[in-house]
Amino acid sequence: MKTKSLYPYYLIWPALFVYCVFFVLPALIGLFYSFTDWRLDRETLKFIGWDNFKQIFSDKTLVLALKNTFIFAIVTVIGKNVLGIALAIGLNMRLKSKNLLRAIFYSPSILSVLVISIVFTPMLRTDGTINKFLEAIGLGVFGQSWLTDPSIVIWTVALVSIWQHTGFQMAIYLAGLQSISKEYYEAATIDGAGAWSTFSKITLPLLLPAININLMLTLIGGLKVFSEVFVLTGGGPGNASQVVGTIILRAFGEGSWGMGTAINTLLFAAVTVISIPLLIFMRRKEVAE
Amino acid sequence: MSYTRKLALRNYIVEIFLLVASLIIIVPLLMMIFGSFMTSSEVLRFKLALPDKWMFSNYTQVFKEGGLGRAFLNGLLITGVSSIVNIITSSAAAFILVRRESKLSSFLYMFFFMGLIAPMSIITTIRVVQWLGFYGSITSVIFIYAALNVAFSVFLYSGFIKSIPRALDEVAFLEGASMLAVFFRIITPLIVPVNATVAIMVFMSVWNDITIPLYFLTDSSDWTMPLSVYNFYGKYSRDWNLIFADLVMTSLPVLVLYLFAQKYIVSGLTAGAVKG
Repeated sequence: MKTKSLYPYYLIWPALFVYCVFFVLPALIGLFYSFTDWRLDRETLKFIGWDNFKQIFSDKTLVLALKNTFIFAIVTVIGKNVLGIALAIGLNMRLKSKNLLRAIFYSPSILSVLVISIVFTPMLRTDGTINKFLEAIGLGVFGQSWLTDPSIVIWTVALVSIWQHTGFQMAIYLAGLQSISKEYYEAATIDGAGAWSTFSKITLPLLLPAININLMLTLIGGLKVFSEVFVLTGGGPGNASQVVGTIILRAFGEGSWGMGTAINTLLFAAVTVISIPLLIFMRRKEVAE
Repeated sequence: MSYTRKLALRNYIVEIFLLVASLIIIVPLLMMIFGSFMTSSEVLRFKLALPDKWMFSNYTQVFKEGGLGRAFLNGLLITGVSSIVNIITSSAAAFILVRRESKLSSFLYMFFFMGLIAPMSIITTIRVVQWLGFYGSITSVIFIYAALNVAFSVFLYSGFIKSIPRALDEVAFLEGASMLAVFFRIITPLIVPVNATVAIMVFMSVWNDITIPLYFLTDSSDWTMPLSVYNFYGKYSRDWNLIFADLVMTSLPVLVLYLFAQKYIVSGLTAGAVKG
């Protein structure tokens, strides 16, 4: 009784109000609009059932956009986390230049995706810096039409994103590593444990909270990808690198708002279905450890 | 070889490897910085080299033609107001959510937490803002950013407020303090470092974003720096020296903030890494 009167709920109202009006309400009416033929050039709305969703799955470009979104998400989750852990372990050692190196690897992640994407555009051309460099060191065969070959373009965009954001994941892993007591490692050394068993039996399990948060952040961020694709390729060549985010912009521009909202609903469902069980699973594992 | 010497050797190898690897990060950034001082023909070689002659005039030219002064102030207004709104509303909400410990408060916590996961619905947000009558304005963008960041901030504040003993509040209540007095005179001073972390995290993500301004700022005089840069990039796609100068200027505010406020960023990251 006492806590109730001492801590009234009205202090929550401002946050709840802003959050509900500008985030939750659009999400809810989006659910409704996904089942309508809402268009820029039409006065009236008609309820059309699952038609928008049927159309999404019969349209090659839209299916490709969904596929690209998943490729981007999976590639970046693996790249950012594997490299992030590796960098964090390296930079957690007693190196002379560790502070400088940490700052260097972290620095791209504080810049705008727009800045990085524009810097990489001339470098990724067929006659650009990267191919020239590969040729110069005798690895010319690995040269690619990074942004113009439809079969690899989404991978290129994912690589740029890994380049930019791995440092952010590294910083979270570093914080996680620093919270592990040194005694575990001393004990392992005394017992004669090798590098691999130390890593898999001590570092990895104790790093689990950091791994959890990083997997969630990179997965959710990956599924919501927009700016990288928008600036680097604009969805091209053709539609080869379209993702859900850029398709929504296109649908918005064309005035097919019902359709655009339906795609967003699909993304919403995918993110929820993938991340909530993952969240629950990882929580359990964390407690069990 | 003794154990310590082996360890020292291993550290040397790791250090050399990481120093070489860091070039992958440094080279593109240096190309941008050096390129921003070159002439428009020199920059087109896209090589890592110091400029023949340092063209500081690139910066003044871009600043004028790119409308960067205006864009800088717009960005400052949007990021500043949305982080302040976010800090006040989220810390107050987190305070009650943590102290109540009821079913409703844990439901509301999850309700906010969903905001970290769910993608925003852009097209219908435009509709809502149109209903409210301020589509296309800076006000709409400020409220949207405040809403988008509520989830993250409530999460961060809750973790911190939990560690403040409830006994502190109780003593104040016994002395006859009101709830608002407890919040502003006891809790607020204790969460100043978290305020800094939230302010910086919100500032950086909002400053760098192009998605929301692209959809919501219909008038070019309201644009933020990244959106002006994008527009400039489309118009001056041949003058890479000017584009690079534009990119450097857009990045300067966050770089300065990073240099002065590193420790608050680190504490934000630690909260995520340790609490999960």
